[in-house]
Amino acid sequence: MPLLTTDIVPGLLSTGASARIDEDIAAKFSIGDAVEIRNIHPVHHTRLPRYVRGKKGTVDRDHGVFAFPDTSAHGNGETPQHVYSVKFSFQELWGEDHSDNMFLYIDMFDDYMRATS
Amino acid sequence: MNGVHDLGGMDGLGPVIAEQNEPVFHDEWEKRMMGMFVSCFAGGHYNVDEFRHAIERMDPAHYLETSYYEHWLTSLETLLTEKGVVTQAELDERKKHIAMEES
Repeated sequence: MPLLTTDIVPGLLSTGASARIDEDIAAKFSIGDAVEIRNIHPVHHTRLPRYVRGKKGTVDRDHGVFAFPDTSAHGNGETPQHVYSVKFSFQELWGEDHSDNMFLYIDMFDDYMRATS
Repeated sequence: MNGVHDLGGMDGLGPVIAEQNEPVFHDEWEKRMMGMFVSCFAGGHYNVDEFRHAIERMDPAHYLETSYYEHWLTSLETLLTEKGVVTQAELDERKKHIAMEES
């Protein structure tokens, strides 16, 4: 069994045990792409909050490749894929009463999204 | 999992109060909790996603009533018992012992 040694502690604490994966995986989306978040309700672990499901946004940044929590939490492999910062308007998420110059950015995995117009 | 942890967009929970000069730990046991988390992680007992999911599987009322590090403690107990590293009986025995020491 691996042991915790003093040399690995600073890295663990400073990265928060990052799930970043150093693999060259093709991105399904590009910056500026219009995307729709899949309306799924998995019974397993997911990092997809309810309030963005079925909503439309725009890919703002590509963070690179990370382990996919939905499979990684259940011993089903890391399923490496891109994570993006996706921009949503408050009006899309919280309704028409909000002003049109407010936006929320949230990190989304490839498998949470589909292309839209 | 559509659990109680998914609080985004919910109303009625009151303001988020930022503590002035917040210490890293509020109590001694929280330091030990951090130590246990890191050593069990390094020991390969779970990955970060399993750890988060075990927090989500907490009883909803317990989840809402407890602090950050108590979530960690509950997750650790859940995972270590599920994986057979410790038994529930061992945990109960140890808790009884600690309670006796404190009384």
